[in-house]
This record gives sequence, structure tokens and C-alpha cells, in this order.
Amino acid sequence: MFLVCLLALQGIEAQITVSGVITDADTGAPIPAITVVEEGTTNGTSADFDGNYTIDVPSNATLRFSSIGYATQSIAVNGRTTINVVMQEDTEMLGEVVVTALGIKKETRALGYSITEVAGEEISEIKQVNAINSLQGKIAGVNITQNATGAAGSSRIVIRGPSSFGNNQPLYVVDGIPIGNDNNGSAGEWGGADGGDGIASLNSNDVESVSVLKGGAASALYGSRAANGVILITTKSGAEAKGFGIEFNSTVTIDQFDTSIQDFQKEYGQGRFGEAPSSQEEALEDGYSSWGARLNGGNVVQWDGTSRPYTNRGDNGKKFYRTGSTFFNTVAITDANEKTNYRFSATDISNTDIVPGSNLNRKIFALNLGSTLAEKLTLNVNAKYSVEKTFGRPRLSDSPGNANFSVALLPANINVEDLAPGINEDGSENLFTDNVFSQNPYFAANFFRNEDTRNRFIGSASLRYDITDWLYLFGRAGIDQYTRRGVEVEPYGTGFRPLGSMNDRERRYTQVDSDIMIGVDKNVTEKIGISAFVGANRNKIESEELVLGGSDFIVAGLEDIGNLTNQSRSRTFSERAIGSVYGSAEFSYDSWAFLTVTGRNDWFSTLSFPGKETSNNEFYPSVNASVVLSDALDLPDVFDFLKIRGGYSEVAGGADEAYQLALTYQIFGQGHQGQPLGRISNSSLPNANLVPFSKKETEIGLDARMLDNRLTLDLSYYTNESSRLIVGVASSFTSGFPTAEANLGVIENKGIEFLIGGRPIVTENFTWNTSFNGSYNVSEVISTNEDESEIQVGQPRTFSVEIKQIVGEPFGTIKGRSFDRDAQGRIIYDIDSDGVPIAREAADREILGEGIPPLTLGWTNTFTYKDWSLNFLIDGKFGGQIYSGTNAIAYGNGLHKATLEGRENGLTVTGIDGATGSEFTTTVAPEDLQTYYGRINDFAEPFVEDADYIKFRQLALGYSLPSRFLENTFLQSVNVQFTAQNLFYLMRSVDNIDPEAAYNAGNSQGLEYFGVPPTRTYGFNLNVKF
Amino acid sequence: MKRIFYIILVLAVIASCDNGFEDMNVDPTRPSQVSASSKLTAVQLFTSGDRYENWRANLIYSSTMMQHFASLAGYWTGDKYTRNAGYASSLMERYYGDALKNLINLQEQLDAEESPDEMKGIARIMRVFIFSRLTDMYGDLPYFEAGKAVSENILKPVYDEQSVIYPDMLNELQEAVGQLGTGTSEFGDADIMFQGDQEKWQRFGNSLMLRLALRLIKVDPAGAQQWASAAISGGVMQSNDDIAYIEHTLGPEGINRNGNGQVFTVDNNMIMSETFINALQGDPRISVLAQRRSDGSTNPADLRGLPNGLDSDTLEGATGETTTDAFADPNRDIITGEDAPMFFQTYAEVEFMLAEANVRWGLAGDAETHYNNGVRAAMEMLAIYGDAAIIDSGDIDDYLTANPYDAVNAIEQIATQYWIATFLNEYEAFSNWRRTGFPALVPVDYPGNVTNGTIPRRLTYSEGEKVNNTENYNAAVSRQGPDEFTTRVWWDVE
Repeated sequence: MFLVCLLALQGIEAQITVSGVITDADTGAPIPAITVVEEGTTNGTSADFDGNYTIDVPSNATLRFSSIGYATQSIAVNGRTTINVVMQEDTEMLGEVVVTALGIKKETRALGYSITEVAGEEISEIKQVNAINSLQGKIAGVNITQNATGAAGSSRIVIRGPSSFGNNQPLYVVDGIPIGNDNNGSAGEWGGADGGDGIASLNSNDVESVSVLKGGAASALYGSRAANGVILITTKSGAEAKGFGIEFNSTVTIDQFDTSIQDFQKEYGQGRFGEAPSSQEEALEDGYSSWGARLNGGNVVQWDGTSRPYTNRGDNGKKFYRTGSTFFNTVAITDANEKTNYRFSATDISNTDIVPGSNLNRKIFALNLGSTLAEKLTLNVNAKYSVEKTFGRPRLSDSPGNANFSVALLPANINVEDLAPGINEDGSENLFTDNVFSQNPYFAANFFRNEDTRNRFIGSASLRYDITDWLYLFGRAGIDQYTRRGVEVEPYGTGFRPLGSMNDRERRYTQVDSDIMIGVDKNVTEKIGISAFVGANRNKIESEELVLGGSDFIVAGLEDIGNLTNQSRSRTFSERAIGSVYGSAEFSYDSWAFLTVTGRNDWFSTLSFPGKETSNNEFYPSVNASVVLSDALDLPDVFDFLKIRGGYSEVAGGADEAYQLALTYQIFGQGHQGQPLGRISNSSLPNANLVPFSKKETEIGLDARMLDNRLTLDLSYYTNESSRLIVGVASSFTSGFPTAEANLGVIENKGIEFLIGGRPIVTENFTWNTSFNGSYNVSEVISTNEDESEIQVGQPRTFSVEIKQIVGEPFGTIKGRSFDRDAQGRIIYDIDSDGVPIAREAADREILGEGIPPLTLGWTNTFTYKDWSLNFLIDGKFGGQIYSGTNAIAYGNGLHKATLEGRENGLTVTGIDGATGSEFTTTVAPEDLQTYYGRINDFAEPFVEDADYIKFRQLALGYSLPSRFLENTFLQSVNVQFTAQNLFYLMRSVDNIDPEAAYNAGNSQGLEYFGVPPTRTYGFNLNVKF
Repeated sequence: MKRIFYIILVLAVIASCDNGFEDMNVDPTRPSQVSASSKLTAVQLFTSGDRYENWRANLIYSSTMMQHFASLAGYWTGDKYTRNAGYASSLMERYYGDALKNLINLQEQLDAEESPDEMKGIARIMRVFIFSRLTDMYGDLPYFEAGKAVSENILKPVYDEQSVIYPDMLNELQEAVGQLGTGTSEFGDADIMFQGDQEKWQRFGNSLMLRLALRLIKVDPAGAQQWASAAISGGVMQSNDDIAYIEHTLGPEGINRNGNGQVFTVDNNMIMSETFINALQGDPRISVLAQRRSDGSTNPADLRGLPNGLDSDTLEGATGETTTDAFADPNRDIITGEDAPMFFQTYAEVEFMLAEANVRWGLAGDAETHYNNGVRAAMEMLAIYGDAAIIDSGDIDDYLTANPYDAVNAIEQIATQYWIATFLNEYEAFSNWRRTGFPALVPVDYPGNVTNGTIPRRLTYSEGEKVNNTENYNAAVSRQGPDEFTTRVWWDVE
């Protein structure tokens, strides 16, 4: 009905066909690929290689001709059928347009805040299984961490510092619609696997551009969910297609276990107290212990009773991990005519991870459809469907099930291949130690199951009706819906769980988002323009999970819920919504001064409850302004363009989760002897008075282009403070609850971001583009609760260290066990009865570092020579620390190289004798080193190291077949490319591990514990357009 | 045009805002209350405990300190008196976090619903049992203010002195027993200890009172006698039918299983202590409780215990063995199952306490009779583990003939029998040993121990309390003594 009304409003105008040639004003040469759009519609085309275009438009239409690098022109058709256009090169690049909040395209000059746009090619050039990881090192202020969780793992992205004690990841908006990016589980101190995240459904070949809205000003229009910044992804459409076209893109990449990272000692073998095992039993008992004798070549018995050479048997990582590979194949068809354009793509991504048994396959289908339904009514439809299958998500962190743990820790004289296939004839795990929790890596990789399938649909439709040439009505609705089936099996015969266990789960997720807005776009006078809109939004997320689980298989080998002795089931459900009204008004003066004011009010279901008296909603404003000084003032010629900008914004947000306000109970388990079991279900004390949190941000910046645009500079300074954060205030567990919910957290971030771009060399055949970006963010926890006590975020299995929120310290501080020292800093020891000095632990844990590096830098270079291009990316992070669980455990087991000291002749230790308070010097006998070092390994202090690194992250060499070769073929273009990733470190502070190798994508950064080892990746890419 | 604008705006406001939000945030999967009965069942299972705290506090610490078990493994820290703060505090963390949290909530519910007195009485006895186990292990603890986050918003409860907790627990027991009548309580079968049998609850309440009374023997002998006689005259357990215990099942989930049994399933680092096996020689229980590791033999001649305080390096020097094969495991055919019973207090213990009360104060008839009853009950109750654990009546007679009541060393003999009877209820074995000093266990002196080579006198508090309840924790430590294994609780005076 509504549609009918709108249709009735439109007038009827005669359609004519307009064509012409577009040429460069300076050279007179035809310009290809200029975009030609009928203003106010999506009706558009682009010029061909010879600058020719043809478009069907109403006779009174206005055509807009645009391209990056040329000044945009608008020309009224006035009934003409031939319009030749001369384009002026836009030396100031003033026409540059970026996608901003709510998908509104704006000229960068009008922006009072920092926004970074990355073209789709930069993401698809060097393919990653999780496409978003391709942004790493490319955007100032965006801190991307690729954890050591395998190809199918989650990525962690934090923009302008962590501002919440809960979720800190940005909102992802794809083609205008927020999509879910929930993490489907990650490893903790007791182990586990990374279940992947929501953004992984994105296909890099479909990406047209990515805009990162960093500050609150940029994202105020997305409301509370944008408090952590917004990543806007626009996918490719057919709007610029020149008739029917086919594009084929094929990439293959190879991943290799990087043997250069881990460097453990290979001089002493399995054993204890300086002796190799003398019996099978001792060998089983010795397990991971590399405190044996010097490797001497003789035969020594091992766990299975077989004697094997007591020598260095080689790199177990190289033997165990396989060569990984990924195949990306995309076919896309595009077509456009005067009314309708579309792009449809089908993609297959198949990955074989380096960890045996880990594979994934994603099939992604995407359709973008644009249509001018009537003269003033345009429709866009985006639909994506994906089927994502993942097998053998690698287990991480603590040992049970983690193959990486065993492979890394095997003594030098044990060849991991001797542990294959990991299973005994009776189907039980072939254990190589008497500790059932020490997993045979082959058993873990080949017989544990952790697989899931996600079927996902993301769709949206938007309709725009131009009521007049300055007033429009816009509506959009979208849905992100998926079902994820997962199966996790610890099989029958597992050492630590002899009868096995399994979980079979299904999660259903639906997010529905709808907007309606009305806007004006008008020049009030010749110089004063106004662009404003008001709108309303409703977002609702529903999530439900059913879990069937249990333990003890009855029939060995049959991994089905029905075959379990003990069965359990559970259902969780959550529903939350946000309702909003918002408005924005942008005023411009003479195209050099801009002022934007926005306001929004959000209502949160998570802060609503029957009878609740405190507020469930909040209004928050933003204002930002920019002045193009180069237009307003008479600046020296060196400046082609100079803009200053500034803004202030607020964002409010609700509780992350539903149902936090009320005390509830549950009937749990399956009863006992026929009696139901009841208990309080809350683990944190609920608070019925929670109100929205608030984040306030101030930003100033400048944008300068100099020396004929050869040098560009973009600088930002920001400061933000989040307050009234909902935190689980630590209380005494003797109260019944270890935490109590309250609006008490405050976090502050301050930082600078810079982007320096240059084109040092520009000749006819050769160009060099370089871009250097960086950001420095200082976070500080201002308040945690009324006592300002510390909040624990996470800890590794050694429990010697914690990631904590501590008032006055950076977000995610590393605090752990350290040595007790005297006033002069000398370590205090207790001398045990064998005379071995045992280091004392300081009474209080000490702050040992911060888990999130404050300084990130990236340097990109692109060289083009004729049809060749070469680019590389070097990036680095500095100022952060990491606790290496791998090093700590390797140390305790005598595998770390530092433990070689003293093995032959004893180790001289000088310190303070705790009993007497005076200094001693003693030599720890070789057989006692295990005791001595084994104590050191309980401390965190020696294993918290700087996580600084500089990495040669990417290299790509490309070649485009010159168009002259293609002239008489059906091909439009052919590109080939060779790529490489993670080739080497230029600098790395921490031994034996990848400094980015955290196992958790949450706030518990700075903990490493036997993740999937780092790889080097090589790839080949072919792109053909027909 | 303006009209359209207003229409849209009105539509927008209606569409958004917070229509229906209040109901949306009411969790459809969680009730706002459950029955008191269902909470009682859960609390009783929480009290029996899961693998977590039974592994750490009961077995790793208490059982090895009491030399029922020994272990070569370094993480069996009780065997060597070394520190593992998380193991030591596991019991208090779980008890406050599960059992007390829900029990105190249950008591509030009974008050609010004006439930029958007998239900309140049963809940009070459960509460005293839990708190007595806790305070015996740790000393001063949050008592009056514990578990009141919901009802009184107390997030950092005060630590009460054990000298205040004890009188209150004894009073509570007296009042709780007074609330009980005869017949079946309204809890009915939800009460998985006594199926609602109020008279059994009365006897358990009085037996617990007797236990607590005797705890005071060193610090307040007069009070001990007074409360012991009150307990005895109130009526204590009369047979193995009165035993307070939980019947466990083989799943389906952890909470249904015996926590100790779950440990036995995954950990075989506990070996019967030499002290315990030597004490069991000539005792028909030895073949029920132990079996040789290598071949499962239960022949007493084949059963040898492992000395405490050894590791795999010192094993051979101390025992001549290079492996643990020659030593005795807990009998994995009988007592280690996940469906094994978990005893809170047994009739045998009560008989031994009666014998002691008679020796000390002439209460309750005749010490020898009580001693004989206790030994017989302790042997007969093993039948709860199954038919394989039934001890022949003649064997019991033979044992009593060979080991008659010894009036001269009565206290030591009774306490030693109590120690044997509380195998696997290691919390109780530990408390009774501290109170009586018997059996005379020889401590070990392992390198790096934190007790100067003495058997610990308590377990240490949760590390989290230092940070999250600092003021009250500090007050408790300054009052009671350092938060160490060697600090004695109030009733454990030297």
C-alpha cells in the first residue's frame, strides 16, 4: 500500500538515450572507467576503455560524471542525446568520497572526524581466510590481533583502545546492516578451541571498500553498538558494470610451519636429575622432562619399551605439522542496464590448516541488485548466503586435547613420528607418559572431533524515494540469520577420559535491523547548504542454543548422543533489542566550512525490567566541524589542501547481555534419585538499577596535501572516557557471589594517529607510492568499583600470572608472581636440605607489563613499473608485554635453552639466604638443577617479556597483461600475482614464540600458551575479467 | 509535505522506543523461584561435593596429611606439606559458592513461605554441618554475614571468631532438634540423606552436637562435657541405619557422582600410606579397602603401604622399589566407585565418641561396650559399598578378641579406631586427629615444605579474599595468626 502511494507520486518523463566521449582536459586522451550516474538515482554506468558511455535517462535528468582524480561534474541533459565531457584533473582530490555512518557517502572535506577507507583490492590482494585480518598494519588506530588459533580462528580488532570491560570489538556493518560478530567460544586457562567469529563469513573478493569509523563522532549515528567504532563494509555491485561481464578470481596459498621461531635445547634428552630413563616405567614417568643426560648416541628405552638412539631426532614441529593450503575461487557475473544492475558471485574457500585434521570449507553466494523502480524510487537488495564447514578446530592452551602442547614439549631424543598414529590396537590412546593429561598429539589431532557447520543468510533491502529534488524518504531492513551446528567429541579411549564424552550443539542467531529516515539536502543560499535527516531504528537480536551432551560411550567408536551412558541437555535463550530515534544536520558554508550536529536516543531492553525505576534509555549528542583552510585563507603554494577538524561526541550503551537485572533460579542437571535439583542461577549478583554507560570522545585533526599532492598527512588526536561501565564488582565469594553488577567502571584512552603518504617517484612508467601509519594509544583504568579493587580478566593454566584491570594502570595489566628481593634487589632464597637455593616468592604479586601494545606502526610501499607492480607491508607493535606459558613450561621441563647453564659443571647462584639474611654463593650440582630451575618456572617474572616486533608481513608481485594483447580477445583484463606473508621478523623480543600468539580473542590479551605455531604463507593469484 | 514528515516521525517513535522491553528482559528459561525441596536436594549434593574440592582439599591435602594415602607426585602437596594455595582453599570456595549460597537462600525461602518448623530445623542442621566442617578446616570464617548478598546486600562478610561460631552452632543444633518432630518431614524424598525421617534428623543433630562438643575438649573441657551430655541425653545415632550419608549414582553428571570416586577415576597417584596399611594389618577391613597395585591382590600379606613424603627419586632408597607396583592401591573393585556412598557422620564414629565420653566423664554407660559397638559398626557399615565389602561377623569377633578394649590406653585406641573409620572422610579424620593427637603420626620433612616438617594444623584461606575482602581477611589473620598451615584454630590449643 505504502509502495503504491509512493509510486503514484512520481511524474512520468520521456526516456532518452544519452551517449558521448569523456576526455582528459590536459591530454585530450579518452578516460576510461569514469562513473556516470543519473543524479538522485542508482541508475548509472561507466565509460569504457575509450571513454565512451551510453546511458538511458529521462530527458530532464542530470548526469554526474565522477572518478577519483578528476573533479566531479554535473550536467543537465536537457533533452540532448550526445554529451561529450572534458574532465579536469582534480589536483586537490577534493571530490574524494567516503562511506560514512548509515552508508551515507560524504566528501572527505566535510568530515569533522577521522575516517579511513580501504579499497577492496587491498583486502583481496593478499587473501586471508578471515578477510578482516588483511587490514592489519594498514589503518592507524586500529589494532588487529591474529591469534595463534589456526586459520579458522577469530580475529581481535580494537579501535582507539579498549573502552569497555566487556566487549571491545567494533560493530560490523555490511551494506548498511549490522551483522553479528559473536565469538563462538575461545580457549581459556583450562584449554578449549577458538570457535571462530561472525566476520569470518565475509568474502574478500566481494568487498568493494571498507570504511573504518574510528571515533564516537563518526559513529554516533549507529548508537550504542558503535561505542567501539564501526567497520563499514560495502560489497561490490553491478552499478558500474559495462553490460554483462564475468570475473574469475583464483588464489592458492601455501602455509608452512615456520621453523625459525622455536629454538629449544637439543643437547640433553628425556630423563630426570641428569639421568636418562633406565626402564620403560621411568620413561613413562619422565614424560616431557628434558632433565636427562647429555645426548650421547646410545640406545635408551622410551615410553613403549623400545630403545631408540639418545640423540637429537630433529624438529618435531616440522614433522608433525603439514603444509597447509588454501584455495579461494570466485566467479562473479555483473550486468547493468538503465533500470537495473546486479552482481552475483559464488565463492569457494577451502583451507587445510597446518595442524593435521584441521580443515575448513566456505561457500559464499552474494547477490547485489540495484533497480530504479520508477523515476524517483530506487531499490537496492543485498543477499548473501554462506555454508561454512570447519573440521578439527585445534585445541589450545592447557594440555588435554592440545596437540601443539605435546609437540612443542617433546624431549629432543623423542621423534614425534614414533607416537603416530596415536592409537593402540584396542582403540585407546597411545600414551607416552603416565600422566593421562599429557596428550598424544596424533590422538588429539586425528581422533578428537571439533567440527561445526554454519548456514548463514544476510540480507537487506533499501528503498529510497526522492519526494522532491531536495527531500527524500529512505527505508531499510535487514536480517542476519544463522544456524550453527557443532559437534565436539573426546573419543572413547582418551587417556584422561577413557569412556569419552561429546557435545552436540545447535545455535540459532537472528538479528533484525530496520531504519526509516527522512532527509533534506538543499542549498539554502548560494553559499549555505544544509543536509539533514531524522530517523528511527530498531535492532533486535535473538539467540538460542540447544546442547545435547554427555559422557561414557557404550559402544566404542560410535560417536552419537544416543550411545552415551550419561546424557544431558540444555537450552539457553536470549533476546535483546534497542530502539532509537536519531537526527543529524550538516551545514556547509561556501564549501569550505562544515558543521555537523547529531543526536540520538537509545532505549535498551537489557536495562528494562518490570517495576524498574532507573532509566533504560539515554540521549546523546555529537558535534563536529571542519574548515578547509586552503580554501578559506590564502596559504603558501606548498599546500594543495589543508583542513582542520574537531569534534565532540557521546555514546551511551546498555548491558552486553540480557537478563542481568533479576535474581533467577534454575532446575539443573537431571535430578538425583528422581528428585529435581534447584539453585540460584546467577553467578554474579544481579542489580536491578543498572543504567546506560556513557562514552565521551573529543577529537581534533588535520588533513594536509602538499607538493602537488605528492605528500599527504593526516593527523588525529583523541581522548575518550567511558564511564558508568557495567562491571562485575569483585566481592567476597563468601557472600555467595564472587562479583556484583554495578555501573562503576571508568576507562580513559588518549591517543594520536598519523598517516603519512607520499609519491616520491612518479614517472610515466614507474611510480613509487609509500604510506606510513601509526598510532599510540594510552589507556588507563580510572575506576573499577567503590573499593577500586582489581578485576581479574584471565589467567593461564600456570596461574602464576593474571591479566587484570587495575586502577591507574593500562587496560589489561599483567600481574604475576615475582621474586622476593632484598633492598638491593638481590633475590632471596631458601636453602633446602640438599643445599639447593629455592627462590622465594614476593609477598605480593607485581605488575609485570601490559598485554596490549600501545604503539602500532605500518609501512606500505607500492612500486609500479609498466604492467608490473610490487608492494610490501612491514608492520610492528611496541610497548606491550606477553607472558609466554610455552617458555615457562619449557623452562620447568629443561627444554628452554636458558636451562643449559650448569648442566655439566653446576650452576653458580648468588643471592640472599632467607634464613640468615646474608649473601651466599653456591654451586647447584647438575643433578639439582631440575629442582632449582623447576622453582624458577613457578614465577611469572622471568617469562613476561616484551612483545615488540617488526614483521615483514606481506609481499605481492603482480603483472597485468597489457591491454594490447587482449584487444582481439573476449578478455577484458588478466592479472596474475605472487604473494607472500609473514616471511620474517626484522625484530622480535621474545624467544620461541610469535609475539602475537595469544590464545584468546577477548580482553585477556598478553597470555601465550601453546597456540598453533606461526606459519609462512606463499600464494598465487589469477584474476580474469571477460 | 509537512504532513508526511509528521506521520513518519510519529511512526518512527512508535516503532522504536521501548515497547515490550520490560517483558523481553525477563528470562524465559529461568524461573523466579523453585521449590525449597529442590534446593535441599542440591545443597545435600553440594555438601558431598564434586571432584574439584574432594580432589584438592579432601584427598590431596587431608588424606595424605592423615597418612591414609601417600603419593610420589609433586602436586600431592599434603603428602609433603608443600603449598598450593588454590588446593588448600578449594573447600571454602566451593562450599560458600554452592552449598551455603543456596542453603541460606533456602532458609530465607522457608521463612518467607512460613514453612513447617521441621523443614527449618533440617535446614539448620545442614547449615551447622557445613559451617562446622569449614571452620574446623580454616578457623575464623564469615559465618553470621555469609551468603547474604541477595537478602542484605552484604558483599564483604565479616570473619567471625571460631570461639563465637562454635557456641552458635551448638545452640543452633539444640534449637533445630527442638523444631523436629516424628514422622516424615515435608521435604520427603527430596531429603536424600534421611528421606524426611525426622527422628533420624534428630539423632543426626544430636550426634553432630556430640562431635562439636568433643572438639572443644582442649579449649573448653567444661563446655565440652556440658554439650556432650546434652547431645547424649537428646538421643544420638543408634545403628548403621542412622548414618548420615549421600547415595551417589554413576552420573549422569558430575554432581550425581561421588567426588572422591571421580578423583579415583582420573588420578592414580594416591597409594595407601604405609602408616594406614600397617594399622590395618590383622584387621579384616584391609582386604576391602586395599589391593596390590600390580595384580589387585587383596591378600593382607601382599599389601604394603607407601611411606609418606617420598618422590620418585627417593623411592628406591627408602623402599628398595623402583616402581609403585608393589604398593597398595585403594581397592578399586569396591570403594573407589563414582557411585560409592559419601559419609558425613557414621554411627561408628558416634559409638567411639560415646566411649570417649564415658572414659572422660563417665557419661553414656560403658566405654568397652561402645568401643566394641563402634568397631563392629565400622566394619559392618562397609556393606553399604556392596556385597563384596561385607565382613564376616566371625572375623569381626576375632578382631575384637585379638584387639580388646584397652582401658589404660583407651583414648588413643578409640581415636585410632575413629581414624580408621573416617578413611575417605578426611576432613573429619584431620579434625579428630588434631583434637586428640592420635594416632601418633610421624611427620615427614620434605625439601621445600612450608610447615618446618610438622603436620599442618589447618588449611589456608582463599587468596582471593586477600584482595576482595581485605579488611575482614586481615582482621581474621591478625586475630588468629598468620594464614599458614601451621597456625592452630581456636579449639586446637597446644
